[in-house]
Amino acid sequence: MADPKMKFLVVDDFSTMRRIVRNLLKELGYTNVDEAEDGAVALQKLNSAPFDFVVTDWNMPNMDGLTLLQTIRQTPSLKHLPVLMITAEAKKENIIAAAQAGASGYIVKPFTAATMAEKLEKIFERLGKTAA
Amino acid sequence: MSDFAGMEELLQDFLIEAGDLLSGVDNKLVDLERAPDDRGLLNDIFRGFHTIKGGAGFLNATELVTLCHLTENLFDKLRNGELAITPEAMDVILAATGTVRDMFHYLEQGTQPPAADPELIDSLKRAIAGELGAASAPAEAPPATVTPASGGDGQPDWNNLFNAVTGLPVVVQPAAEKPASEAVVAVAEQSPEEVIKQAIGRRVTDKPGVSAPTGRRDTEKSRDNSIRVDTARLDQVLNLSGEIGLTKNRLNALRSDILNGLNDTETLHALDVAVSQLDLLVSDLQNAVMKTRMQPIGRLFQKYPRIARDLARNLGKDVELVLSGEETEIDKTMIEDLSDPIIHLIRNAVDHGVESAAERRAAGKPEKSIVRLEARQEGDHILIMVSDDGHGMNAEKLRAKAVQKGLITDEEANTMDDRQSFNLVFLPGFSMAAQVSDVSGRGVGMDVVRTNIQKLNGSIEIRSQLGKGTTFVISLPLTLAILPVLLVRLGEQPFAVPLSMVREILPIEAEQIKEVGGRATMVVRGEVLPILPLAGLLGWPQERVPEYGVLMHTAELSFILAIDSFAGREDAVIKSLDDFRPKGVAGVTTLSNGQIVLILDMKELLGGVGEQRGVSRSRLLAGGSQAVVVA
Repeated sequence: MADPKMKFLVVDDFSTMRRIVRNLLKELGYTNVDEAEDGAVALQKLNSAPFDFVVTDWNMPNMDGLTLLQTIRQTPSLKHLPVLMITAEAKKENIIAAAQAGASGYIVKPFTAATMAEKLEKIFERLGKTAA
Repeated sequence: MSDFAGMEELLQDFLIEAGDLLSGVDNKLVDLERAPDDRGLLNDIFRGFHTIKGGAGFLNATELVTLCHLTENLFDKLRNGELAITPEAMDVILAATGTVRDMFHYLEQGTQPPAADPELIDSLKRAIAGELGAASAPAEAPPATVTPASGGDGQPDWNNLFNAVTGLPVVVQPAAEKPASEAVVAVAEQSPEEVIKQAIGRRVTDKPGVSAPTGRRDTEKSRDNSIRVDTARLDQVLNLSGEIGLTKNRLNALRSDILNGLNDTETLHALDVAVSQLDLLVSDLQNAVMKTRMQPIGRLFQKYPRIARDLARNLGKDVELVLSGEETEIDKTMIEDLSDPIIHLIRNAVDHGVESAAERRAAGKPEKSIVRLEARQEGDHILIMVSDDGHGMNAEKLRAKAVQKGLITDEEANTMDDRQSFNLVFLPGFSMAAQVSDVSGRGVGMDVVRTNIQKLNGSIEIRSQLGKGTTFVISLPLTLAILPVLLVRLGEQPFAVPLSMVREILPIEAEQIKEVGGRATMVVRGEVLPILPLAGLLGWPQERVPEYGVLMHTAELSFILAIDSFAGREDAVIKSLDDFRPKGVAGVTTLSNGQIVLILDMKELLGGVGEQRGVSRSRLLAGGSQAVVVA
């Protein structure tokens, strides 16, 4: 498992959902979690403090998850961040759009801690390879 | 809570948040009828259903997921311009929203909601397929949909896809393609009209509370025990309690100094400063705590446009409900208790207040009528107004009706002014509708409205102008936790009466007291008012002649409460007497000098008087030595 001190940013406009994700992360041993209610707020937080991982919903007001992802990839100081998309959208177009925008992973709601752990591990694995 | 063991908290959170979302969706749907092409609205509604679906998935509420999923798909097509909204589609959407709400009620009960009516699901699918009277754009792209509740196999192989997109030669088959067009299966045997009729029928009969399991009210109450508070407000409370802690330490230090014999000016000055500071901090803290209970009334208002719209449609009227002052804050407990009275007033306005389109045309008014629901704070009161631009109330007719129903006598009718006549509608058993309609006009309601408002220490008033419209004004205290009271004395014993009922204070002079019907009365500005001695109401012996009268209004009665003297007014923090509640006592409060005072429940006290309200003049004046003087 990667460093349990990793700082996560959970982005979702639905606070219940943020709590679910936060609890799942806690189950997996990650307790350093901050939240943002949309892409715009998330960007502000990302730009003002260091984060190690972004977990974001797709559909949100102000700035959606895809735009957030695209913006992160275009920002030199943020573009290395792993971004895991979580959404209730299981359409092919969406998955491809996310992949093209540079998402590190994609989870369809609802999901369990096990699914999340698996996705995170795969992402860390890939990150490890790139770093090596 | 068997279906959700271990998930109760999540369920509560979901219900509160999703409930708000759904109310928002309801309102946007009403707006959408006026602006069917508004992409922003369509997008918002889409997102609402999408978010509810996402949350419902975690609760394993499969049926809710399915329903939201279909509705979301429909809105996806609408927002992408693949479909245009039609009145038929709108009805199906509204029916779906209603069913989602019903499902929430099941969830509140801790049970998984049953499947939505197959007809509704069918109508939704047909709407998505553009077969429901919808002007369908030539959509060539097949809707690739998957029910997210289908489980793990619905997960795309992300790595393969990722590789595919990044150029690695792996051919991918995202699972999303598999169960594809389940949603497009359309059953075309029924005519669209039939489908709509069923959909509408379902909506009307499946109002929350009809289909929802019984006992829902109780669960609702338990859910509503939680409150959402802006963290900034909580921080303020925290901050203030911290400062109070510091001041307490300072006072402790000063106490030891003083106990050790230190009493120079400097020490005493420091004590003075610390106490004043504490005073300030505590009142700030009280305000801050009170603020945590305050919620914008908009939460409550949200659900009304939809109700007004449904009702107006049923009645064949064109009515717009205009909201204002949604940001006005009001005590949370009051918001819940206001819900039903306001629904009733709005129904009343739409049903009786405004005229039919034909009548409006004849009267030279625009066909569309406006019903306004507004809230604002005025001093230490919140005003909530429901006004219509209809035909107004006819005082003459109201009086005639009340006489005919035997609610008042001819003599009473003749002495009534317009304001008093309007208030007749609050009498139990009074109904103005010539024909009893489905919606209102059963004569139950307005009296309940007034009773409910009065329970909140509020009052309701009617202003009406013939031909122009009617306004119901509800006036409420800012909070229920603090009650402004008037302190009155009987002998040496103080009692507190709610200041909201007090109109004025008058001296009682023997020569002004007249006896009417064997009871002591006083004429105040032409109005004959009975004098009720407080001692008599409490069942105490009257020891002296009361010197002062407090003119009070309750729902049914204006009267003069005869008392011995006053001790001023105070903002009482009510402590309820939990297990022990003597008749006529609403609670107790502590005065600044530490004395405990009973707060009187006037309504209950008066209830004991029954029909024989008041005492004779001679008995009133029989207290003490002066009794002999009066013949």
